[in-house]
Amino acid sequence: MSNPEILDINQISKHFERKVALSSLSFSVKKGERVALIGPSGAGKTTLLNILASVIEPDEGQVFLDGEPMQEYADRKKFAKKIGIIRQQFDLVGQLPVIHNVLAGKLADWGFAKSILSLLIPQEKEAAIRSLERVGLPDKVYERTANLSGGEQQRVALARLLVQSPQIVLADEPVASLDPARAEDVLFMLTKLAAEENQTLIASLHSIDYARKYFDRLIALKDGVLFFDLEADKVTDEQLKELYQLKELVR
Amino acid sequence: MRKPKLDFINFSVILSLLIIAGSWFYIIVGQNASLTALFTGKNLEYAAKFFKGLFGVGVEDPAFTNRDSWSSALSLTLDTLQMSIMAIGFATVTMFLTVIPATRTVANGSLTLSKKRYSWISYGLIRVSYVFSRAIPELVWAMVIIFIFKPGILPGAIALALHNFGILGKLCAEVIEDLDKRPARNLASSGASKWQILMYAVLPAVMPQYLTYILYRWEVIMRTTIVVGFVGAGGLGQQFKMSMSFFHYTDITLLLICYIVLVFIADYVSEKSRNFVK
Repeated sequence: MSNPEILDINQISKHFERKVALSSLSFSVKKGERVALIGPSGAGKTTLLNILASVIEPDEGQVFLDGEPMQEYADRKKFAKKIGIIRQQFDLVGQLPVIHNVLAGKLADWGFAKSILSLLIPQEKEAAIRSLERVGLPDKVYERTANLSGGEQQRVALARLLVQSPQIVLADEPVASLDPARAEDVLFMLTKLAAEENQTLIASLHSIDYARKYFDRLIALKDGVLFFDLEADKVTDEQLKELYQLKELVR
Repeated sequence: MRKPKLDFINFSVILSLLIIAGSWFYIIVGQNASLTALFTGKNLEYAAKFFKGLFGVGVEDPAFTNRDSWSSALSLTLDTLQMSIMAIGFATVTMFLTVIPATRTVANGSLTLSKKRYSWISYGLIRVSYVFSRAIPELVWAMVIIFIFKPGILPGAIALALHNFGILGKLCAEVIEDLDKRPARNLASSGASKWQILMYAVLPAVMPQYLTYILYRWEVIMRTTIVVGFVGAGGLGQQFKMSMSFFHYTDITLLLICYIVLVFIADYVSEKSRNFVK
């Protein structure tokens, strides 16, 4: 097989109190695919990504990562080589200079002594600077991260992912708090870098336009169940209308 | 004309006036106290004598113009400074060693995404030790410790550190609890260990506030050295008590000047270091 399945989601369910977040969801993702998760708010997109990020565990069902069940990845260092996460820009440490936020992608490989030393004398600086160049921020290496704009901070997070270099990138609403121009910019870069690094990308998005423009495959969730799972250019306006409209009827 | 209503505000004003009148009635009639007894010629004379003494009126060779007094006072000031720095140093180090397991968000695993079975036990033990150490005033700690060790600045520093350890620990653990969890969690999910998270996400975020707390407690400790000095912990406080007992009023003036100098130093240091952290 030239394109093996890297992620296999098998009948997972998750409840919060009485609310059903996900029910018997199954799909699989091939290596190198770019998947957008779409659907109305509360559909379970973030829950799904949190399960994939092993932040929470499903109540039922299993997730297979590269052929092995998720529980095999209890070691965070091993897990970090497989899956990397980017969320909204609030996930960076604002008080630190940019370079340390980028080098944080190396923490899984580094021992404690090396990570302390790095705060004083940045270690493996070249890798950090190279990835900052790739995201277009070569002049902000020592800037305080909190002083950067939202779009720039999101690029720093991308540079960190480059340094971490996982096989799968999960993006939870990566552009939710950015204006349209910055959002396009960040999404373009995210998908471009994932393609260059031969990474698998799974992103949840609010905007259908961006999802169609930048992703190969759209997986729509509604009320915790799979609504449709289609290639990006095969999704019809009718289906999208139904995806978002039905929700309002229920309300 | 509108009839005045007896609403809450009117009622409480009337009630407090009644309470004030009642209290004074009780003091003057019930306790048979006399205000005029406070302002007698004798008391005035004592006060005048004391303040004249402080300013060295009519005193031959007052301490604050005497070279030897100054040099001994300055060396005591240095002792006090040493005691306060030792005290805040001990308190800060022990606080740093204990603050992480004493944080609720670490104990329940929500900050570092990892949870150990013993987390809640160490959380409970450390929190109880915080309460215990700050519930006992510095003076009592000093009395106990000086009872065990011989008087000096080291026991004084330990006493002050013991009390401030609990205060700093509680304040600093709360700072971590109030942190934005997202950066730390993100590091956790990119494979960072608990200690790496501490260095990369927690410490940079809490440092400015920690510094404020630590420097503030340092200033408080400096002033509290006078209290522990009274029971023999050395420094300016001990001398203060002795001068008071020997009626060396000009010495007291000198010691107070030294205290003011110390507080100025503390102010200056905290200003500078806060700028540095920003």
